[in-house]
Amino acid sequence: MTDAVSAASSRPAISGAVRRLPEYLMIWVPLLLSAGHIVSFALWTIWISFTPSTLVPVSGWVGLRNYTAVMATRNWHIAFDNLLLFGCAFVLLSLVIGLMLAILLDQRIRGENVLRSIFLYPLALSFVVTGTVWSWLLNPGIGIEKLVHDLGWISFRFDWLVDRDMAIWTIVIAAIWQSSGFAMALFLAGLRSVDGDLVKAAQIDGAGPLRIYRRVILPTLWPITVTVIVVQLQFAISTFDLVRALTNGGPGIATQLPALVVYDLMFQRGLLGRGAAAAVLMLLILLAVLLPYAAWRYVQRRRLTHA
Amino acid sequence: MPNTITRRRLLAGSAAAIALPAFARAQGAVKPRLTVISQWSAGSDGAAITALGKKFEEKGGIWQHSPVPGFTTEMMNKLRAQIIAGDPPACSQLKGPEIAAWSKIAPTVNLDAVVAAAGYEKVVAPDLARLHKPEGKWISLPLQIYSTNMLFLSKRAMDKAKADKIPVTWADFNDLAEKMKASGITYPIANGGTRPDDGQKFEASFAGMSPAAYRAAIMNLDEKALKGPEIKAAFAQVRKIADWMDPNVGAQPYATNLKRFVDGDMGMMIQGGWAQGVLRNAGFKFEDFMIAPGPSDNTRPVFLLNADAFIFWQRSEPDLQAGQTLMAQLVMDPAIQTMYSQITGSIPVRTDVDLSGAGWSDGQRRTATALKDAVANNQAVLSLAHNMAQENGMTAAMIDVITEYVKNKTITPEQAVARLGEAVEGAR
Repeated sequence: MTDAVSAASSRPAISGAVRRLPEYLMIWVPLLLSAGHIVSFALWTIWISFTPSTLVPVSGWVGLRNYTAVMATRNWHIAFDNLLLFGCAFVLLSLVIGLMLAILLDQRIRGENVLRSIFLYPLALSFVVTGTVWSWLLNPGIGIEKLVHDLGWISFRFDWLVDRDMAIWTIVIAAIWQSSGFAMALFLAGLRSVDGDLVKAAQIDGAGPLRIYRRVILPTLWPITVTVIVVQLQFAISTFDLVRALTNGGPGIATQLPALVVYDLMFQRGLLGRGAAAAVLMLLILLAVLLPYAAWRYVQRRRLTHA
Repeated sequence: MPNTITRRRLLAGSAAAIALPAFARAQGAVKPRLTVISQWSAGSDGAAITALGKKFEEKGGIWQHSPVPGFTTEMMNKLRAQIIAGDPPACSQLKGPEIAAWSKIAPTVNLDAVVAAAGYEKVVAPDLARLHKPEGKWISLPLQIYSTNMLFLSKRAMDKAKADKIPVTWADFNDLAEKMKASGITYPIANGGTRPDDGQKFEASFAGMSPAAYRAAIMNLDEKALKGPEIKAAFAQVRKIADWMDPNVGAQPYATNLKRFVDGDMGMMIQGGWAQGVLRNAGFKFEDFMIAPGPSDNTRPVFLLNADAFIFWQRSEPDLQAGQTLMAQLVMDPAIQTMYSQITGSIPVRTDVDLSGAGWSDGQRRTATALKDAVANNQAVLSLAHNMAQENGMTAAMIDVITEYVKNKTITPEQAVARLGEAVEGAR
C-alpha cells in the first residue's frame, strides 16, 4: 500500500525533473563555467600577486612585498584619491541628472520616445569613442573654449583638460554624459510602476505635484536608487578605456585610476607580480562596495518574507 | 607551469644540441624559413620590413612575418604568449635593455660566429653593441638608429625672429627662444604632451649639458650623479622649455603641432629623427625647416641613441636555423641597412655606410655625422624616453616623475631630483 502510494507520487516528480532537465542544463552549465572561469582566474591573479613574477609568471613567494611596493608609489596614491573623487562625484551627479531627466520625461510630454532614445543613445557608444570626442571638445585649443573665443568672448576660460587639478572632472563630465541615460531609464521604469491609486489618493488629499513626488513617489524608488548606485560604482572602479582615450592619465599623472595602474604595471612595465597586487587591491575596493549591497539585499528579502 | 617551461627549455636545448651536427650537414639542403613578429605593419615601417622580406625571399628563403599592430606592448604580449607556450618566433622585434631581460626567460641564438664573419662589431657604436650582447654573446642585432634629440627649426619662425644662426649650446637655444617670444611667437617650442615627449625634453637637456653625468645617473643609476648639480640644472632647463610650450596640447602627440611649427606660429622642436619623415609625409618641404643636432654645452654633438633591433629565439627546426643565419647576414649587410633607412628616415647602424648618395636627406647625413662625432668623443648615450637606457619598469618610474614635473609648474628642480631618486629606489 505504502509502496504503491510512494511510487505513484514519485513518478510525476521524476518525469517533472526529466522534463525540466534542459532548463537546468541551460542555466547551470554556463553559470558554472563562467563562475569557474572568473573564480579560477581571480585565484590565479591572487597567487601571482605573492610571487616575484616580472615578464612571465614564475613560482616563488615574496609575501606582501608586491603590495607594499605598489602602495608606496605616487601613481597608486594619486589613482586611489582620484577613484574616491571620481566615484563619489560621478555616482551622485549621474544619479541626480538621471532622476531629473526621468521626472521631466514622466510628465507625459510629446516626443517622449524620441527624447528617451536621445538620452539613452550615448550608452550605445564605446567609452573609447566618448573619450576621444570629449578630448576634442574639452581641448582648449580646438574645442569649446576656442568656439567661445571665436564668438567674441576672449576672456572665457575652460581649460580643465590641461589643468592638472581639474582634469579629473573632465572624466566625470564624459562619464556622466555617457551613463546618466542609464540611470534615467531605470528611474523612469520605477516612476511608471508607482501605483496610480496612491497618486490619486494623494491628489484627493490635496497634495501638489512637488509634494506628491517628494512624499509619495520618490520613497518608492529606493530599491532602484541603490541598484543604480551599485552598478555605477562598479563601473567607476573599473573605468579604464574612458580615461585612456580622454587624458591617458595626464596631464602628467594627474588622472591616474587604479585600472590604468594595473595595465601599466603588467603590460608596460613588465611587472606581473606588482600588477596582480594592484588588481587584487582593486578587487578589495570592489568588494567593499558589493558586500554591503549583498547584505542590504539580504535584509530586504528577510523583511519582505516576514511581512 | 614554470616547471614545464624549464622542462621544455631543457628539451629544446638538448634537441638543438643533438640536431646541431645533423643540421650542419643538412644546411645546404634545407630551404631557409623565418617566422618573425614585429609591430611594423603600416606606413614607412611596414614598407621597410616588407622590403626586407622581399630580399629574404630573393635569397631563396620563406618569409613568414606576423605583424602585431599597435603599441610595442601589444607585440610583447604576443611574444610573451608564444614563449610561455614554448613556441617562440625564430626572430622578433625587441630593443634596448629588454633584450637582456627577455633573454633570461627563453633561450636565444648565439650569433657570435655570424657577427665575427661579417666583421660587424667594429662598425657599431660600443654602447649599442653592449645592449645586443648581454653576457658577452651576440643574441640580437640592431637594425636602424634614430637620435631622439634632434633640433628642428621652423624657417618662418626664424625669419620672424630675424635669426639665422642654429643654436649650438643651451644658452644659444634659450636666447633664440626669448628672441622668438619677443617677436610675437607665443609658443617658441612645439611639442606633444605624451610621456616620451616629456622624457625627450629631459634627456636632451641633461645629456646636452653633461653626457658624462647623464651616463652615470640615467644609464648606470649612480646615486651621487642622481643627486648631482648637473641633473638639477637639467630640470631647471626643462622648466624653461615647459614654459615655452603650448599647455593646451594635453596628451596629444607632437604631430598635432606640425602645421603651426611650419607656419612659424611655433619656433623649435626637440624631436627624434623620425619627425623628418612625418613632416615630409605631411607634405612639408625641406625648405620649411632645418635639422641640427640638439644643443650641447661643450659644442660637440651629443647623440641620444634609439635603435630598433631583432632578437633571435632558439628553434630546433633546421629550416628555421638556416633562416636565422640568413636573416642575421641580411640585417648586417650595408646594402640592406641603406635600403631600410632610406624608407624609414633613420640612419644605418653601421658607421661605415656612405650617405652621400641621392637617396639620403641632409638631415640623415647630419645625423650620421653627429653619431660619428659623438662616438669618437664618447658622447653617444642611450635614450631614456625610448626605453634604451633602462628596463621598462625603471624607465616608467623615472618618466612618471619627469612628466609630472613638466606639467606641474609648482614642483621645483630640487623636489624633482628628490622624487627621481625615490622613484629609482622604488623601482630597483
